Amino acid sequence: MRRAIRGGDETAPPRQNGVPGGKGDGRAAERGDAAAAGADDDEAGCSPAEMQDEDNDPARRREIRSKYRDLINSVQQNREDMLSPTNNKLTDVLEEANKLFAEVRQAREAALDAQLLVLATDLGKEKASQLHAEGSAFDPSAFAEHLLSFMGLNRLEDEDEEEEGGGVSSGYLPQDAWQRVATRAQCCFRTAPSFHYMMGSFLAELPPPRQRVERQRKVPGREAKRIMPTQLRRMEESHQEATEKEVERILGYLQGYFNDDPTSPISYYEFVIDPTSFSRSVENIFHTSFLVRDGVARMYLDHDKLPCIAPVEEGEVEAGGTSSRQQCVISISPKSWKEIIEVFSISEPLIHPPSTQHTE
Amino acid sequence: MSQRKRASNTQSSQNKGVRSQRWEAVLGDDEDDPSFTQPSTSQVQKGLDRLTPAQVDLKTAEVVQFIFVKDQKKFPIRRADIVKHVVKEYRNIYPEIIKRVGCVFETVFGLKLVEIDSKNHVYILINKLEQLEGESLNMSPSNPKTGLLFVILSIVFMKGGVVKESMVWNTLKKLRVDQGERHEIFGDVKKVVTDEFVRQRYLEYVRIPHTEPLEFEFRWGQRADMEVSKVKLLEFIGQLHEQDPQSWTQQYREATAPPAAPAVVTSANTSASVSQR
Repeated sequence: MRRAIRGGDETAPPRQNGVPGGKGDGRAAERGDAAAAGADDDEAGCSPAEMQDEDNDPARRREIRSKYRDLINSVQQNREDMLSPTNNKLTDVLEEANKLFAEVRQAREAALDAQLLVLATDLGKEKASQLHAEGSAFDPSAFAEHLLSFMGLNRLEDEDEEEEGGGVSSGYLPQDAWQRVATRAQCCFRTAPSFHYMMGSFLAELPPPRQRVERQRKVPGREAKRIMPTQLRRMEESHQEATEKEVERILGYLQGYFNDDPTSPISYYEFVIDPTSFSRSVENIFHTSFLVRDGVARMYLDHDKLPCIAPVEEGEVEAGGTSSRQQCVISISPKSWKEIIEVFSISEPLIHPPSTQHTE
Repeated sequence: MSQRKRASNTQSSQNKGVRSQRWEAVLGDDEDDPSFTQPSTSQVQKGLDRLTPAQVDLKTAEVVQFIFVKDQKKFPIRRADIVKHVVKEYRNIYPEIIKRVGCVFETVFGLKLVEIDSKNHVYILINKLEQLEGESLNMSPSNPKTGLLFVILSIVFMKGGVVKESMVWNTLKKLRVDQGERHEIFGDVKKVVTDEFVRQRYLEYVRIPHTEPLEFEFRWGQRADMEVSKVKLLEFIGQLHEQDPQSWTQQYREATAPPAAPAVVTSANTSASVSQR
């Protein structure tokens, strides 16, 4: 039979006449009944009857569907391969599908064609996303290597680690490897802190006891002065006076400089540092601290976060300085004293040393 | 069930509050959202009038505390749970309460309460303030899972926002993290990544259609979109590669693009009306 010969690799059962495409018919045809009339010329047939046969031949339909399924399978199985930018297999598949589509007549085949097209477009989209039109490419493997270094991987030198195809860097990864990454990466997250209980108690009654202590401290002081013998008192007073006088004097300087130019802030360091004497600078700091304690001067940070000092305006001075108390401890060493002089270019002291000096 | 609901909605607003409560009693106080219909502004006002400010403040404080505790695991908090466990009989003024709660979070704690799913009404808490490098949030050592999450988010971001799971697993393998083996720090890594991180909304683990066998892809989750600073991410990546972050032009552009406005719970957008669902 011409048909059987032409079949080639397809084992197509002989066609049946005028039978609308159906599953059962194909099997009947396998019995080999070849109704000869109109059985030939499937391709050359231009008459409507023959065209109808072609459309309805279940064997041919099955063939088409089977080819579609093969294509679909091959796309799914070889997905990685098709994604590779080095070949055009995807285009080949599409061309193959185009050819098949020319012979599609029924809904079932069309559905398979649609399925294939969806697969192909998915692949196409993935291939397109692989193209990096601009900017550096990002290679996850390199990223992993850099991360390992960051984690502190101790790469063993005598082993050759460079292997293509998923070679893993050998070496010892420290225990806190992931901790390191986490600590560094944490600042990228705006996570809300997790609720946890605060350790320790939180009593809101602390301020009152402090006030009581202060008042007690002042009273004995005054009494003590009176009790002491005259001679001693004079000496004490002279020391006390000296300090108080010095504090007063410094206040005078501060107010003077401030009044000269109320808008320009006085840098604390420039004020207290004496470039000629370290010990004088320390004394200045000591005396200035009394001013702050008594609330007649205030220290603040300017917009460069440098400390500045300014007298407190009249009327703002509160007795006993019970307003918001903040403390700080200032320390200075000869080394930092020199550094400050250099950084601030202090050439002469703002607080002139007193004419009568007991220590120098 | 839904038909009865619609019937109740067509009643006059005065009766609505009572009627919906009766329906709720009939339907039972279940987990599903449908049992809670957002009250109208007039209802809210009426409800507020019947209560003292102290009562409303107390309720607000309770909700704040509830959200804090619920947020510990970083799973999103459902409106249904808030209503069921805390708000309870005050549900007719829920919009007002949640508005105040949002304000408390912002002004007192510097946190943002964000509704990440306006259909299912689910909230998360994020920080308003940036964290400085080198400082940790609560003085405790950081959770190594953050490191793992960072790696995955970076891969997804640098690869354009979507990545097949195989790429993530392959990269993690190079870092000695294998989804098939129990990791000494992370344990069941696959569970941590595909379940925990997804539930916390840091990641989305989505099926790729038409794949045979089944394959999944990773994307950034809603929490990641809100919490993670892409610029800082890029900076760290640049540091690792010793490259200028701007050399990845596409990613840099995306990182510096103005962010989409999140649905933050503040007084601006919670004047709830019936139309809001």
